[in-house]
Amino acid sequence: MEVKPMSETRADGGSDDYEHYEAVVVGCGPGGAAAAARLAEHGIETLVLERGVEAGSKNVSGGLIYAEDSAPYTIDDLFPDFREEAAERPVTDYHIHNIDGRQVTTYDLTDLHEHDTDWCDAVLRRTMDSWLEQRVHEKTSETGGGVLTGVRVNGLLRENGEIVGVTCDELDPIRADYIVAADGVNSELARAADLMDWDEPDEWFQGVKAVVDMDADVINDRFSIEEGEGVAHLFSGDLFEDVRGGGFLYTNEDTLSIGTVFHLDSLVAEEAEPHELLDALLTHPLLAQWFDGEYNELEYSAKLVPDSKKVAHREPYADNLVLVGDAGGQMQAQGPIIKGMNHAVTAGALAADAYALTRGNADPEAAGRRYTTMLEQSGTMGKLRPRRYELTSTVGEHDLVTRAVEGVLNSPVGSVAIGNPIAKRLLPKAYNSPFLVGMLPDTSMAYTTLPSLIGEKHGRTVHWENEIEPPTLEERIGDLTYNTDVGNPHIRLQDESFEASGAAVYACPVSAEDFGGGCYRAETVTTNGSEEKLVSLDTQPCVECGTCAIVADTEWTHPRGEKGVEFKQG
Amino acid sequence: MTLDPDDYTVDELREELDGIDDVEEVREALETERSGAERKTALEALEERLDALDADSSDDEPTRDKKHVRALVGGDYADMWVFCETQHGELLDVSKEMLGKARELMDGYAEDFGDEEDVVAFLIGDGCADLAEECIAYGADVAVYHDDDRLERFLHKPYTEISAHMARGQGTTESTDWRSYDEPRYTLFPATNNGRDLSALVQAELDSGLASDCSDLFIQPEEVSNPVKTGEPGVKKTFERTLHMKRPDFSGFEYSTILCLDNPDRDFHPQGASVIPGAFDVPEPDHDREGLVVEHDMELEDEWFSVDIESHDTLEAGVDLTGHEVVVCLGRGIGDDPTLGMELGLELVDAFDDAALGITRGIVTSSYQFDGHVEQYSKEERQIGETGQEVEPPLYIAAGVSGAVQHKVGVDESETIVSINTDSDATIRDFSDYFIEGDLFDVLPMLTDAVKSGELTVEAVADGGETDE
Ligand SMILES: Cc1cc2nc3c(=O)[nH]c(=O)nc-3n(C[C@H](O)[C@H](O)[C@H](O)COP(=O)(O)OP(=O)(O)OC[C@H]3O[C@@H](n4cnc5c(N)ncnc54)[C@H](O)[C@@H]3O)c2cc1C
Ligand code: SF4
Repeated sequence: MEVKPMSETRADGGSDDYEHYEAVVVGCGPGGAAAAARLAEHGIETLVLERGVEAGSKNVSGGLIYAEDSAPYTIDDLFPDFREEAAERPVTDYHIHNIDGRQVTTYDLTDLHEHDTDWCDAVLRRTMDSWLEQRVHEKTSETGGGVLTGVRVNGLLRENGEIVGVTCDELDPIRADYIVAADGVNSELARAADLMDWDEPDEWFQGVKAVVDMDADVINDRFSIEEGEGVAHLFSGDLFEDVRGGGFLYTNEDTLSIGTVFHLDSLVAEEAEPHELLDALLTHPLLAQWFDGEYNELEYSAKLVPDSKKVAHREPYADNLVLVGDAGGQMQAQGPIIKGMNHAVTAGALAADAYALTRGNADPEAAGRRYTTMLEQSGTMGKLRPRRYELTSTVGEHDLVTRAVEGVLNSPVGSVAIGNPIAKRLLPKAYNSPFLVGMLPDTSMAYTTLPSLIGEKHGRTVHWENEIEPPTLEERIGDLTYNTDVGNPHIRLQDESFEASGAAVYACPVSAEDFGGGCYRAETVTTNGSEEKLVSLDTQPCVECGTCAIVADTEWTHPRGEKGVEFKQG
Repeated sequence: MTLDPDDYTVDELREELDGIDDVEEVREALETERSGAERKTALEALEERLDALDADSSDDEPTRDKKHVRALVGGDYADMWVFCETQHGELLDVSKEMLGKARELMDGYAEDFGDEEDVVAFLIGDGCADLAEECIAYGADVAVYHDDDRLERFLHKPYTEISAHMARGQGTTESTDWRSYDEPRYTLFPATNNGRDLSALVQAELDSGLASDCSDLFIQPEEVSNPVKTGEPGVKKTFERTLHMKRPDFSGFEYSTILCLDNPDRDFHPQGASVIPGAFDVPEPDHDREGLVVEHDMELEDEWFSVDIESHDTLEAGVDLTGHEVVVCLGRGIGDDPTLGMELGLELVDAFDDAALGITRGIVTSSYQFDGHVEQYSKEERQIGETGQEVEPPLYIAAGVSGAVQHKVGVDESETIVSINTDSDATIRDFSDYFIEGDLFDVLPMLTDAVKSGELTVEAVADGGETDE
């Protein structure tokens, strides 16, 4: 209890100056939690601001968190009971399925998966992040801070052009000597600091996920595993037509996480509907063995994922602000490996150490510089932006090269090459080599052409029928929980012409052509006799994935604290 | 303490005088100077100050007649006072909540300290005598009220003057002989817009402090070692009967407890708080409770009413779709010709005796271009559903509405639901009593004709009318 005699504090609660904390951490996901926990361990007074009603209520991930042997920090270093308390099942089995119609070729990826992996668990973000929040609150309270939920930071407090704190929707501005922006993908702070922009679709992936109810016993039975074991399945091939990306299925305690991850530029180019791509995966005959005709979806969700190869910021700081995790583009997606949470944890902890080491240095950028060096020296930046990718991508992604290679592959000669016995032995090796996977160019060749050719040549044929019916988009939206900020839309259309913003009608995961209940809708409007195709927006069904910030002409922010969608699974 | 001009050089005196607002004090100092040193420049300074103060008191510019009010030292305090705010001739809930809490606190006080002190409600307004009675029922022992038709609405100056006058026990003997203390021990205000203003003004007028926006209150002794409060370093002093006022800290993860403690040479009383509405429960009224109702007596000066409320507005409540016999709702099914769709909907509305037009959120947020004469019907104020209005008329007609769950929750309770939709799989079919598969542009005019010709009444539709199913 704080007891303040009347004449010393101003009893009216006003203050002549803003509140000040030594460190302010924005966002309580794995990156923010790691940063805050480490800061507190260094005895630093740390305030954590989180916009959700509870940490995790805004967060979505596919669901695997890795502990890498080579990483300087893993989540269980910082939070020792993490695996027992906050995670679902460990991944003990790892497969990739190349799909070509009913032809499926399956490779065991366990080697690749276990390379540099101490352990890897499936997680659901609501459970995980809310548990982290508790621990972080305990730790930060000891050094005079704490976690504050329901507060959305909306910008940077500047003095003479220099960053000195943050501004929020719900509170007066807060000053801080050190600011950690761990506010996730579409970080409003990274944007405000001019460190990241939201312009290029090819720098992002879009992830869409369904959490499906299934008894623990049934999971053990259908996936042939025991309690304390879990599986990961990846899917690639022609399931998704020409859209570049793949799918995943992970087992949780008593649910499954099933989802898709696509290159955003490809989604836009193909005018693909994300929920239909997810449904294509869910209803593929291959999955029938695991559903057995029953399908009970608990939650539909979506989130953008930055592609670290392109956007991981090499010097993620400005003044006394540093970027951590998705906010700084630190999301590694190479071939089938998707690693975001682990790098966010590492970066968060390093950012905290960097501040502790430079504490007292008068130069506000000292900590940021140190953090950058630590990211390099720990090898983290090397993983996020592999040099070999930079060497190959210019060639690999070149249209002409792609077309030439695809041309060969699609020719009888190419197919023969793939179908020969040597290829059969080499292909799993290639998939299991982190080096080769890192080189996989981001073209449809890697995602579609090659896998479906493999499927065609080596696959077995799946004869099951998959009769499940996934919910409609209307039902999916209806099942989500929203706390609508009536009268305060958080996204505004700047240009409602179809040319400028029409892509969102397809790419928004809760919108679809000819669906009136989504966020974005295409409408043909007649004004004075001339017809025009326009786009209208209703933000109430929004799941805050960030897609339209990039593919439409909008003024995009997150909703105020506690407002908007609330994920129960995540 | 009076000012002895002899203690100062003339320059110092000038400076000192600037801080003195009491005419009498300056006058006395002038006399002292005249009968003593008789410094010409000092006399000038004193006379100047006197003139300035005289000018002040005749000047009605509000900022200039600020008076320095002296805090008491060693004053006599008792009772817990509660400002009971009213609106449209009723007590606000927060007034009742505070009375309930005050009752509980003062009952505990009697037990803990062996002194029975009262809960005193004070009310200001036009026709608040009855409400004063009501305050007794909600737990007050005494209710003091000031009635004046000029006080119908909250005005800073008169409300502050009256409150302070009441608190100091000024006024005729009959209206004040129920009490024998200098000022209240504790005072509570509601943390409403008006209550917040008044709390700050009154507590300043009484030269005390204020803990604003409190969410909990309790009374207990507090041992303090702060020399500002104890008078000497290293000494502890226990402040008995201290009101602990808890308020959410700026950060929200901690509560601050604010205390309003006397200094050795200056009292901070009444100990004042404003209370967040809803922080306490509304108590059950006991209409048999006995108490004293006192009409406060005070002349109100005309210039306190220099602020006139010339007009006032109840915030635009928008369109009320509830309470009608029929509600016709249009959805995005009108998209092919929004203006025509709207006209057809309005014609059906007009055909009924008592009907209203509603729309779905899908219309509110569309980019449809409505012609001027129907555009007003496309606004949020007519939206039905989860984030709009909820309606439950005897007859609900939905045309071109898909029936998303967020729309459904707004109409579920309607007695009879009739829907028109080209898509026989539309969700709305699941909760319609009658489903007309058809184009609203054809069906709406038919319905309108039927209603006009008397062939279709609410009963007829409820009986099956001429619908399909
Ligand atoms: C958190 C949240 C809160 C929401 N709150 C509300 C709310 O308060 N109120 C609300 O209404 N919505 C609300 N919504 C939106 C709601 O989900 C739907 O988007 C909205 O109700 C759809 O409006 P609609 O029925 O007009 O459009 P649509 O869903 O597009 O339906 C149009 C229907 O018209 C039919 N049709 C087309 N042409 C014709 C024709 N010529 N004749 C007859 N039928 C035709 C179609 O078959 C279709 O069924 C909310 C959404 C969310 C996520
Ligand atoms: S409106 Fe934009 S942010 Fe919201 S779900 Fe759709 S694409 Fe994502």
